[in-house]
Amino acid sequence: MANTEFSSTQDYVASEELLASVNVAIALQKPLLIKGEPGTGKTMLAQAVANSLGKKLIIWNIKSTTKAQDGLYMYDTIQRLYDGQFGVEGVDDIARYIKLGKLGEAFESDEQVILLIDEIDKADLEFPNDLLWELDQMEFYIHETKRTVKAKHRPIVIITSNAEKELPDAFLRRCIFHYIDFPDAGLMEEIIKTHYPNVEENLMQNAMQVFYDIRALRDVRKKPSTSELIDWINALQISGISADTLRSKLPFVGVVVKKDEDLETVRQEIH
Amino acid sequence: MFSKFFYTLKEKGLEVSLGEWLDLQEALDKGLCESSLTQFYYVARMILVKSETEFDKFDMAFEECFKGVKTETEIGKNMLRWLDKSDMIELAHEEARKHLNQVEEIQVDKEDVEQKFKQRLKDQNEEHNGGSFWIGTMGKTSFGNMGGNVGGVRVGGQTGYQSAFAVVGARKYRDFRDDKVIDNRQFQMALRRLRQFSTKLDIPKSELDIDQTIDKTCNNGGYLQIEMMKPRKNAVKLLLLMDSGGTMIPYTRLMNDLFQSVNKSNHFKDVKVYYFHNCIYSKLYKTPECENGDWIDTEWMFRNVGSDYKVIIVGDAAMAPEELYSNTGNYRGPNGGLSGFEWLHLMKRHYKKIVWMNPKMAPGRAPWREAETVIKEIFPMYKLTVKGLNEAMVKLMANK
Repeated sequence: MANTEFSSTQDYVASEELLASVNVAIALQKPLLIKGEPGTGKTMLAQAVANSLGKKLIIWNIKSTTKAQDGLYMYDTIQRLYDGQFGVEGVDDIARYIKLGKLGEAFESDEQVILLIDEIDKADLEFPNDLLWELDQMEFYIHETKRTVKAKHRPIVIITSNAEKELPDAFLRRCIFHYIDFPDAGLMEEIIKTHYPNVEENLMQNAMQVFYDIRALRDVRKKPSTSELIDWINALQISGISADTLRSKLPFVGVVVKKDEDLETVRQEIH
Repeated sequence: MFSKFFYTLKEKGLEVSLGEWLDLQEALDKGLCESSLTQFYYVARMILVKSETEFDKFDMAFEECFKGVKTETEIGKNMLRWLDKSDMIELAHEEARKHLNQVEEIQVDKEDVEQKFKQRLKDQNEEHNGGSFWIGTMGKTSFGNMGGNVGGVRVGGQTGYQSAFAVVGARKYRDFRDDKVIDNRQFQMALRRLRQFSTKLDIPKSELDIDQTIDKTCNNGGYLQIEMMKPRKNAVKLLLLMDSGGTMIPYTRLMNDLFQSVNKSNHFKDVKVYYFHNCIYSKLYKTPECENGDWIDTEWMFRNVGSDYKVIIVGDAAMAPEELYSNTGNYRGPNGGLSGFEWLHLMKRHYKKIVWMNPKMAPGRAPWREAETVIKEIFPMYKLTVKGLNEAMVKLMANK
C-alpha cells in the first residue's frame, strides 16, 4: 500500500515546512511551485516525492524554445503524408499520428503520477499563462481528432523556478508556493550525512565552516550551493586530506568556487 | 471567518485574491492546519504568498492578527497536556504551598512579593512573545515558582516546526523584502511590442509549407514532394545605448531593470548594448564603467550596426548646454572634433528609428533644462516608466 503523505526519504532531507507544502498541494489538488537558489534540491524534490509515495515520475524539462503545445500533443503531419503516399494501413486514422507530450502522458496514465515541470522560468514569458486551463481543468482538446484528453487521475504537479523571469500573476494565484531556504548548519549536517553516512565528523565540521564563511563573503559573485559542498566533501574524503589543514590550504576549492575572480577573493579572505 | 486577517494582509500591501482566500478556507475545511496555529501560519503563507519578497509583509500581518490568539490556543493545548499529569500538579501545589509558607515564615511583605512577581511576569512576557494571558492566569493561582517548569513544558510541546511566532519574530525574510521592485515583467511586456515578423531570416526550415507542397506534388504527377519553410520570426534588432554618467547614479536600479528586461527578452533577432557618458561622442563604451580603452568607435558602429536597428537611448540629458555644443566634448574620452550636438545629429541621420528614454524628464517644455529641451527636438523623448516605454515602443514600430 502506497503512502498518501510525503515524508523525508532516505536520500532526501526535507524541512517540515516543505513536507507540509507538498501535502497541502496534494490535498488541494494544486500545482506546487518551488523556488530557491540553485542547488537547493528543487528538482530532486520531485524524485523524492515520487519515491516516497511510490508513484511514477514524469519530467518535462523546459527550455527557452519550449512551447505549451509541446507538452500537450504533436500532430505528425509529415509522417502521415508519407504514409498516405504509400497507402500504409490506418493512414485515415488521424489518432495514429497524434503524439502526446509530457503533460498528455501524465493525463493519460492509468495511475496517478507526479509531473515535474522543471525550470518553468526558462521558457517564454507567456508560457505559464498558456498552461493555465490545462493545469486547472486537467484536460485539453485535440482539434485534429476532436477528442478531449482528460486526466484519469489528477497528477501531482510540481513546478520549479530559478526566478530567472518573473512569473505571471494569474499563474501564481493558482499555485501553492514554497521557497526553499538555504539550509542552516543543522539541516546541512543531516543532508551531508544522508549522502555520506560515514563522513568523518571533524572533516565535515571544518568543511562546513569554510563553506558558510565563503557564502558570507560579500564579494563572492556566485555563492556556492549545497551540491557543491557535497562534491567538495566527497573530494576531500577520497583524497584523505587532513581536516586541520582545510582552512589554511583550501584543497580542491575549485569544486566549491567556480569563478576565477571568486577564487582570488576566497584565497585572500579565508584564513 | 478570518476576514480580519484578509483585510490586514491587504493593508500590508499583499494582493491576496479571493480565489486564494477560498483555497485557504478549503485547506482549513480539510483540516490541513491540524488546529495548530503554527501549521496554519505555514499553510496560509504557502497559499496566499507567492514570492519570498513578500514573506515579510505576511509575517507582519500575521503577527498583528494572531498575536493575542496564539498564546491562548497553543499554551492551552500544552496546559491540557500538563494538567494530565496529575502527580505533577500535586507536586506543583505542594511547592506552592511550601513557598507560601516560606513567605509567611520570613514575614516578607506580601505586596513586595506581588511586586516582584508582577515584575517577573512582565519580563517573561517580553521573552515569550506575549505569553501574558497564560502566565497571568497561572499567576492568580500563585504558581510563581513554577515559572521554570512551565517554560520547560512549553518548549517541549513544540513539534518539529519552528513556532510561528519564532519565525515571525525573527523576521527572517526581511532581507528579501523589496518595496521598490518595479516589476520588470512589465518592462518585458512593453518590449514585446517590438515585433516584426519575417521569414527572411537565417534559420532552419522547420515548418511544412502546405501551398508549396501541394504545388510541387501536383507537378510531380501526384508523387508527394514535401516543401518546408522557415517559421516566422521576429526580425527586430535592437541597439540600446545607456548613459552611465554621474547624474545617472540615482537611477541605477531602474537602468538595471531595463537592461535585465532587454537581456531576458529573447524575441529579438539581435541586441547590442553600449554605454556612453553624458552624451554620445566618438567612442562608445562596452561596459557601464566607461573605462578608457574599453570602447568602440561610434563610426565603427555606424558601419557595422546597420541602420535597420531600432535604437533606444537612455539618459537624463542633463549635461550643461556648453558641453552639448562644445567642440572639445566632455571631460573624458575623445570627441573626434565634433560637439555632442553634432554627434546626436549623426545618430539621427544614420538610424531611422530612435527614441530617447529619460528617467527624470521634465513634463512639457522645460526652458531651465536647456540640454533636455534641445535633445527633445532631435529625438522623441519619453519618460522611463512602464507607460513611457510602451509609448516609445509604439513610436519605434510606427511606419512614419
